[in-house]
Formats: sequence, C-alpha cells, structure tokens
Amino acid sequence: MDPKNMRGEWHMSDNETHETKVEEMEAKVENNEARIIKIDNLSPRQIMELDVCTRCGECSVWCPVYDQDKRETVNPRGRARWFKKIIKSQYGLFRPGTVWGKMLRRKPVTEEEIKAFTNDLYECSTCRQCYVACPVQIDTVELWESMRRSIVDSGYGPLEQQKALAISVKSYDNPWQQPRSSRSRWTKLALKDKKVAKEPKDITKTKAEVLYYVGCTASYDVNVKEVAISDAHILERANVDYGILGPKEKCCGSVLLRVGDHEYERIAEENIKMFNDLGIKTLITSCAGCYKTIKQDYAKVGKLNFEVKHMVEFLLDLIREGKLQFKKELKMKVTYHDPCHLGRHSGVYDAPREILRAIPGIELVEMERSRENSRCCGAGGGLKAGFPDIQNQMAQTRVKEAEAVGASAIVSACPFCYQGLQIGIQALNLPLKMMDITEIVTMALDEAEKA
Amino acid sequence: MYMYYEAQWSLYVLTVITVVIFLVGVYANVYLIRRGKARSLTYKFNPGAMLKALIVNVIFQSKLLKQSSLRWFMHISIFWGFMGLLAHTTFLAYYSHFVSPDSASAQFFFTPHSAGRLFLDFWGDFWGTLLLIGCSIAIYRRYVSKVQQLDTVLADTLAIFLLFSVTATGFFCEAVRFLPLPPSPDFNYSFLGYGLTKILRLMPQSTIKYLKYTEQVRNHLILGIFLILYIPFSKMWHIFVSPIEVLLDGSEEHARRMAYER
Repeated sequence: MDPKNMRGEWHMSDNETHETKVEEMEAKVENNEARIIKIDNLSPRQIMELDVCTRCGECSVWCPVYDQDKRETVNPRGRARWFKKIIKSQYGLFRPGTVWGKMLRRKPVTEEEIKAFTNDLYECSTCRQCYVACPVQIDTVELWESMRRSIVDSGYGPLEQQKALAISVKSYDNPWQQPRSSRSRWTKLALKDKKVAKEPKDITKTKAEVLYYVGCTASYDVNVKEVAISDAHILERANVDYGILGPKEKCCGSVLLRVGDHEYERIAEENIKMFNDLGIKTLITSCAGCYKTIKQDYAKVGKLNFEVKHMVEFLLDLIREGKLQFKKELKMKVTYHDPCHLGRHSGVYDAPREILRAIPGIELVEMERSRENSRCCGAGGGLKAGFPDIQNQMAQTRVKEAEAVGASAIVSACPFCYQGLQIGIQALNLPLKMMDITEIVTMALDEAEKA
Repeated sequence: MYMYYEAQWSLYVLTVITVVIFLVGVYANVYLIRRGKARSLTYKFNPGAMLKALIVNVIFQSKLLKQSSLRWFMHISIFWGFMGLLAHTTFLAYYSHFVSPDSASAQFFFTPHSAGRLFLDFWGDFWGTLLLIGCSIAIYRRYVSKVQQLDTVLADTLAIFLLFSVTATGFFCEAVRFLPLPPSPDFNYSFLGYGLTKILRLMPQSTIKYLKYTEQVRNHLILGIFLILYIPFSKMWHIFVSPIEVLLDGSEEHARRMAYER
C-alpha cells in the first residue's frame, strides 16, 4: 500500500495519472469526506500563526465584516481556529486514521465543513484591520490570502460569484468584462469635456518619464471615470511628462491575488516585464489596490526598475515643488476615507490630508474611525462580488460616520472605495457627495484659474 | 535540603513522563508547522527591528497597553508572574541537583536567615502574587463580567483553572509549611504565604492537624505537571510561538515600511 495514500494525501506518484486522482477525489466527495486542502502555499510561519492566536477577540472588536455578520466563524479569530482544525485533521500527527487518531477518536473533517469554511474565508475584505488590532502581530491578510490559494488549489474556491471576475481578468485583462479597446475611452471624454488639451500620449510609442497606470475601475466604470479624467487634467496642468498604456494596459491582478487565483503570478510577471521595458522613472496610479499590488506584491514576483507612487504622493510632491498652486478658496467641509490598501497596507495616511489642507477653504474633519482604524467600505478582497449585501451594509455604516461629522463630501483616493461608498450613499439616499481627492484638486485648480 | 520539599523517586518518574509527553506535544506542533513549504519571510532578517519588537511588544507588550490598560496589566501579570516563577523553580531545581551545598553561592542562597534565602522567598511570593492577580482578572473578565469580545471554550477554562490552581496551591503549601513554625520576621518576606498562615491559624486545631505539608506539595506538583503537559496541546503554546511571531513581524514590518519610505 502506498504510504502516501495511507496518509490521505493527494501527491501524485510518477505512474499515477490525473484521471485516477480525479476519480479518487470524486470517491471522497461521494463519501462526504473532504478533499485534502493543500497547504504547500502556506509558510511554516503562517501555520505557526494559527497557534499564535490567543483568541483574545480584539480583532472581533474592530473587524468591519464581523460588525455586520456576527458569526464567530467570520471573525479572524474564528477563521484561524477553524482552519487549524481542518489542517490538523488532515495533516496533524494525531489525525483520523492514524493509531493516535483512532485512540483519540478523531473524526475527519467533512465536505460540508470545508465548504462552509470556504464561504466564511471569502467573507472578508482583506482590509488588514485585524493586523492592526492583533496584539501578537499576526500577519493576517497574508495568512488569509495563502489560505485562499490553498482552498482554490483544492477546488473549493473561489466562490461562484467571484469566478466571473477571475474569468474576466483572464479573458479581457479587466474584471469588468469590458473589451480591451474601450480601456482608454475616458481620454475621449476628457478631450470632449475640455478637461485636457490633448490626449495623453501612448507611452509604448512615445517615451515618457512617468507612466500613469489608470487601473480597471477608473478606466471602465462610467461613474468613476472622473478619477482618470481628473488625474490627466492635473498631470497636464503640472506639465508632467507622462503617458498611458491605453488598450495595452492590463489588470494588475489584484482581484486574482485577493481571491487566491494563481493566475495572478502570470499577470504580475507579464506586467513587470512590460513596465520595466518602458524605461520609466515612476509609475503612478490613483487606485489604492493597484498601488499596493504593484508596489508590495509585485516585489515578491520580480524586480521593478522604477519607483511606484500613489497619485496622492505624486500630487503632494507637485504641490511642494510649486507646480500646483491653489489660490482661490473652495468652501467645503469634507472628510477623508483612508482606503485600506493605501492606509493600513501601505502606511500612506498623511499625504492625502496634507493635500486637502493645502487647498484654501477646505475644512477637513475626521470620522470616528480614521487612519489605521479607518472603517473599510467592503469593496475589496472579493467581498463586494461574493457578498454584495454585506458590502452594502458596511458602506452604509461608513457613510453614516461621515454624515455624523457633518461633512458634505467623503473624499477618498481609490476608485474601488469610490464605487463601494457610492453604494452606501445611494442606499441611504444621503445628500453626501462621493469624491476622489483628484476631483477636489481639479476643482481647486479650476477655481484658481477662474480667479 | 535546598527546596522545602525532598523530592521522592515518584516525582522523578512523573517528571520524566511529563517531559516525554510535553516533547511529543511540541513535536506534533512542529510536525504540522513543517508542512508549510512557502517562504516565511519576504525580506531579510533585521536584528535591530527584532530587538525593538522584543522590547516593545514582548517584554513591555505596549500594543496591548494602547488597547486596554486592564488587559495589559492582566496579561503582563500572568506573563511575568509565570516567567518569574519558572525562573524561581528552575533555580531551586538546578541548585538542588547540580550545585554543592558547600559552595559559596549555595551558602548565600540557602543558609537560613541569609539575604539570598530571604530574597528567594520574596521573589517567589512576588511573582506568584502577580500571577494570581492576573489570573483573577482573567477569571473576572471571562466568567463574571463576561466581556463580549471573549469567546470561552473548554480549553480556555482549563488553561485558566490550571494556572490559577497551581499558583494558589503553591501559596497554600507555603502557608501549611509555616503553620507549625514559631513566628519569625523572616516569614514576612513570604508575605502572601505567611498571610495565609495567619488566616489558617484562625481555624480550629482539629482541622489544622489534617493539613499535611507533603500532601499539599503532592497536590501542587500533580497540578503543576498537568499544567506543563497541557502547554503544547493548548492555547498556552502561544507562550513560545507568540514571541517568535512578534519578532518575525517586527523584522518584516520594518522592511516593508522602509520600502515605502524609499
């Protein structure tokens, strides 16, 4: 007997065919016995982290998803405990089927249990609030993402609702099922609305120092296109030598990475090669998700030969260099929503606030939860696709916080948050305005021009 | 005799069994950890950042302090109380077995009325009291005020029960040891144990005579052995792995931040 089979593992020996593996897996499913969750994706440290959790519950106090769906298995503490139970029952020294397992009457984990776990694993926006709260510093989001890769490898994930996003990224290079050719349609709108004097140059044809990586949401979403248009407007006003990839721009792969799809690595490799070949000095983006993915996650796949900046960092540099000046007052009371991928994941909290404070007349008020404790809008991590109702509730909770401080607009620096918070505003039918920080800057520049 | 209790052969047998089961538990945990094949660290080790994390988040647990001063006091009392008593017991066991009674250090620490002996008596009571206070706060939060963020399972109850009862029985042993002895100012260094003796003396003599020191020590040791056995199979395993995680994260987070500041 193959000792590997005795252990119930799914390692294929040389003479084992893919078909036999599938048959065995199907037999297991028929017996209501769960397939083996592959944990090669996890590091020894991440498996150790399951024991590091002391179950103090601090994460449950802060978790914005648990706040909406009060189930223990949804909060980080419960998730870690459940996953530990699953892998212990499949890989542990005292797992069912072993002499010790029999003595201790250990039961194998069932198919239903893993499916329920999978569902709860994806009920998370990967906002990293749990890391901020955790007194023992468990690198939670990395852990959740590795678990998701394991779940995907074992055929349980992602959720059906999320599969469409992944398929779209693979087929169209964007998660919104839009044709590649319409990726730069926003430039035509910008030209038509006279927001730019000329179309941004195609960086693949004409070299430029700066690549403006627009991102899928700002490129395609009709309601968020204003972000891309404002960015182009500002860059042109500041005489920045920049270009865009246009139809050649591809999704950064963040969606795939967050839901645990390995296709992300291929996309990251292709993008890294394309970006490096451009000979740019700086890549800028307005999307917090793209920024985190390119700056932090791409670095694990390959080396980047340029600097990556979020638009708020780039804008602040332009303001400090005197290339952007605001002279006219813009009378508005605004509050700033820290996008998770820009704030907690990347530590960029001050730049957007400094920009807002540099605009005369702007009154910046902070919500009850801001900076590292900023409440997630629920748009990221595949949550919006998988659990739209939960995301809607999360956005409403966040929007209410903005309303409570008397702001007339919520300003953010991420097209995804823009989409997400807009849902909350519409659901509550509030007079609040959702704005990207670049829109405010554009308004302030236009006011200055009029002055 | 360095310790107040002469170890019997049965204690050595129990100790060997305890160590074996403890090591099996450790092996089971490491066995599972080793199934992970991905890289544990993205960036290079940064000893400076790890040292900072050790001081800030392991020794002083400042992140917990920022969240709640009560929880910080509770945890730091349990943590340092446990460590202090572990050091105390290890010290006594080491001297009992490996150091000649004629050596200068043994004379310093174990001669009656010596400063070293009084220091050890105080040391044991101080850390034990701290541990008891920490456990009491934990019990209060979990079972009396029922703090909402806590989700109590049997393993939590068992862990707190063992920690509390081992410490409490330790003090009870000390109190019973003082019972037949005439008062001495030295006993004040064992402030909690001796305080308990004074309370026990209020009991009728007919009851006191049933309190045998060796029996109390046996109960204390059995509970202590269960506590040690239970560590690798319970959430108390975090005593070992949480500091490792804090140090690794200290290094990683520092490198991540540096990457953003560049």
